[in-house]
Amino acid sequence: MFRSKKKVEKKGLKIIIVGCGKVGSTLVEQLSKEGHEITIIDRNSSRLQNLTNLYDVMAVEGNGASFSVQLEAGIEDADLFIAVTSADELNLLCCIVAKRVGNCSAIARVRTPDYNKEANYLREQLGLAMIINPDYEAAKQISDILCLPDALEVNAFAHGQVELVKFKIGEKHVLNGITTSEIVNKIGSGLLICALEREGEIYIPRGDFLLKSDDIIYFVVTRKNSKDFFDKINIKTNRVKNTLIIGGGRSAYYLSLSLLRMGVNVEIIENNKERCEELSILLPKAIIINADGTDEGVLREEGIERAESVIPLTGIDEENILLSLYTRQVSDAKIITKINRINFKDVISKMDLGSIIYPRYIVAEEIIAYVRAKSNSKSNSIETMYNLFDQQVEAIEFIIDTKSAVTDIPLKDLKIKMDVLVSFINRSGNIIIPNGNDSIQVGDTVMVVTKQSGFHSIVDILE
Amino acid sequence: MNGSIVRYILGQVIKIEGILLLLPTLTGYIYHERVANYYLIIAGVSLILGGLLTLKKPSNSVFYLKEGCVITSLSWIFLSIVGCLPFYISREIPNFVDALFETISGFTTTGASILYEVENLSRSTLMWRSFTHWIGGMGVLVFLLAIVPLSGGSNFNLMRAESPGPSVGKLVPRLKNTAQLLYMIYFIMTIIEILILVLSGMPVFDSITLSFGTAGTGGFGVRNDSIASYTAFQQWVITIFMLLFGVNFNLYYLLLFKEFKRAFSMEEVKAYLGIVIVATVSIVISLNRYIPAFADNLRITMFQVASILTTTGYSTADFDTWPTFCKLVIVLLMFSGGCAGSTAGGIKVSRFVIGVKTVSKELTGYIHPRSVKKIQMDEKPIDHEVLRSTNVYFLTYTMIFVISMLIIALDKEDIVTCFTAIAATLNNVGPGLAMVGPSKNFAHFSDLSKLVMMIDMLAGRLELFPLLIMLNPTVWKEIITTSGHKKKKL
Repeated sequence: MFRSKKKVEKKGLKIIIVGCGKVGSTLVEQLSKEGHEITIIDRNSSRLQNLTNLYDVMAVEGNGASFSVQLEAGIEDADLFIAVTSADELNLLCCIVAKRVGNCSAIARVRTPDYNKEANYLREQLGLAMIINPDYEAAKQISDILCLPDALEVNAFAHGQVELVKFKIGEKHVLNGITTSEIVNKIGSGLLICALEREGEIYIPRGDFLLKSDDIIYFVVTRKNSKDFFDKINIKTNRVKNTLIIGGGRSAYYLSLSLLRMGVNVEIIENNKERCEELSILLPKAIIINADGTDEGVLREEGIERAESVIPLTGIDEENILLSLYTRQVSDAKIITKINRINFKDVISKMDLGSIIYPRYIVAEEIIAYVRAKSNSKSNSIETMYNLFDQQVEAIEFIIDTKSAVTDIPLKDLKIKMDVLVSFINRSGNIIIPNGNDSIQVGDTVMVVTKQSGFHSIVDILE
Repeated sequence: MNGSIVRYILGQVIKIEGILLLLPTLTGYIYHERVANYYLIIAGVSLILGGLLTLKKPSNSVFYLKEGCVITSLSWIFLSIVGCLPFYISREIPNFVDALFETISGFTTTGASILYEVENLSRSTLMWRSFTHWIGGMGVLVFLLAIVPLSGGSNFNLMRAESPGPSVGKLVPRLKNTAQLLYMIYFIMTIIEILILVLSGMPVFDSITLSFGTAGTGGFGVRNDSIASYTAFQQWVITIFMLLFGVNFNLYYLLLFKEFKRAFSMEEVKAYLGIVIVATVSIVISLNRYIPAFADNLRITMFQVASILTTTGYSTADFDTWPTFCKLVIVLLMFSGGCAGSTAGGIKVSRFVIGVKTVSKELTGYIHPRSVKKIQMDEKPIDHEVLRSTNVYFLTYTMIFVISMLIIALDKEDIVTCFTAIAATLNNVGPGLAMVGPSKNFAHFSDLSKLVMMIDMLAGRLELFPLLIMLNPTVWKEIITTSGHKKKKL
């Protein structure tokens, strides 16, 4: 009578999320879409109310570290416990209690640099599944982009052997006006365009596809070949030499640390005197300037016109956006904008803000990759996962550990769903950018790019 | 206003009604009644109509409390209009207003009837009348949530608009599972009652229809004298089940998961049982002074108290002939109603518990002006919002009550009739006193009064606000403008 669902609903995991701030809400949004049973705990009842109005989740008001509150939320038969309150210590305590009461995996958010160095130690000693640090992840992604400043986004796969690069095709670019199949002849094999955005529409190009200027593309390229290719397609491969960071928060610290290690000159403008002093102790090689970063005069004085890259990392999104827009006006610097809180993604993506980083989505992606791997009967078959084009496209790296319907059959003979692309195969360290004759074998890891969401295992790519 | 989701859910509701109409159809074929054909035709028509409305899935399935209220109110109205067609078309209730009154009375589990005689109705119609109680008891949208895969989390707004009580929570994280659990408990308890009644020697047809009426706390019987002519044992069984269906269903959930301590410490349930005991004892004492027959008095009183408190409305005695004190207690019970989260109507015990606690808090405030005290229930602080909405509920309730009473007073009935008629319909009880007493009916009212009482019954079942929100002109304007213009595409 009623339209029966084609696929039998996968039994979701029982997940408890403590803390409904930015990351918590993002997790609720994404995980509830994937059909898990979610219970949220927070002290603030109006936040809970907002989320229960929008998503099919159960809310428990109270302290997430309290034993009785956890019992009420059903910790005894929960599969996963995620603590993302604003306090690191509380998160850790929540997880410790949860591990004692229930038989679940626990994930904690830990942001303070003090603990970050010991993250691995903490994770092992406390038996946590994962420790996440949005600020650190954001900083890592920013520094990846700064290594390839022409790209809008750089994500590493296959232990860093493959890069997924987001790039906007300019008017005079070599890629303008050629088709995807001509790339092999004109530029060489080893580069594959996985996804493309044109006038708001997303395409997964298969076969012949004519590239135009203003297209935004994602392509995979092996790191070994990357320098050659980037030269051929006129992408600057030189990493930036100096960076101006506005705002000296935690992300600024993590970013400076990794940039200084790569030998990039870092200049941080921070308004708070005490914080400046702290930073100068933590980062002796960086130039710390105690001034208001939102003051035009200060920025000019510090040479914003000459900076190779400018990264506003103040705590206020609106300020970051304004600073990026201002920088765009006065200089040619590479700009990366971090958006913590505000939503309006459609509006933001239409503004000229350079690369945009959403720390909360980065963490959510990591956790969702973990959750998908966990809810899959086969152990751990998702290695990494990224969302492309505002979550309209997913790039998932699968580990192929058993024989299945996709293995040992040439790709051209597989009935692969529309809008799904196998973008590379990692065969014991050898990266294969596949054509129709290649096949997936046991032991490989494979990256799949798809417009559909919710793939749990590699066989989901088949019709 | 998300117009397409309103259309889609309305379509689903009508489809479900089409399926549910097959039960009276089946009954009719078993008893070889020609009326069954009407039921079959209307079932078919509503299936087709519902199918057409649900042909296109809404692109945007997000909606808010406002839409939830509109969907709920419209669903109940459509449900009643379609549901009254068999009565009307089969000419068993030849007047359309009367047919609609009877159906709304059924779905809202009121049990107020406009019929003088029920024994000469066809079996299919009797079955449908009682079945509407069962459907309306737990709510048709909750049923929808339990079986139809609706995506998105917004559906909670539907449940909130339809379920009774000051604050609505979930039993388990997924709404769908919550709804399924509720219906499972409901279904199993109904089956148990049917079995017990059948085993006690009641005819199968009567057992099923009466159990439907008890489960939904409705009150339509299949005999002219309601329950009076059944055996004492059968009356006791129905008494107990009426009381059980008036208990908050969370209790059964907690029992199901063996959380006995939490289950038996529910303040509302304690207060509910307290009311039952106090009311029964005071009426029995008062009755014994007139007729000294304790066992009979206890049975009759217990039945009447259970029936009125849970707003079922079955009767084994004409309490209109009782002493004034007993009548007053009965009228007061009408307002109390059962527990929140049960199938009963009325203002709900939990609202009274909260109300009493608020009053005592305010009084302490006079003695210790700087005292700070948060009102708690079941050892949990009550949200300020819940307190506020409870107070507003009382006020709104009184206003609706007074206005309705004034309108039906135009009919030249006496004060007791007017007062108890509104009390009986707004609280979804069924019988009142005087001209609407257990042995009388509602047929003698004018069409205007009947319309007012229909609105009262719906308002009472949906707990006032959803209906008021739907009747609000701003919401109407939104419905009209969004159906006229296509939304701007992003």
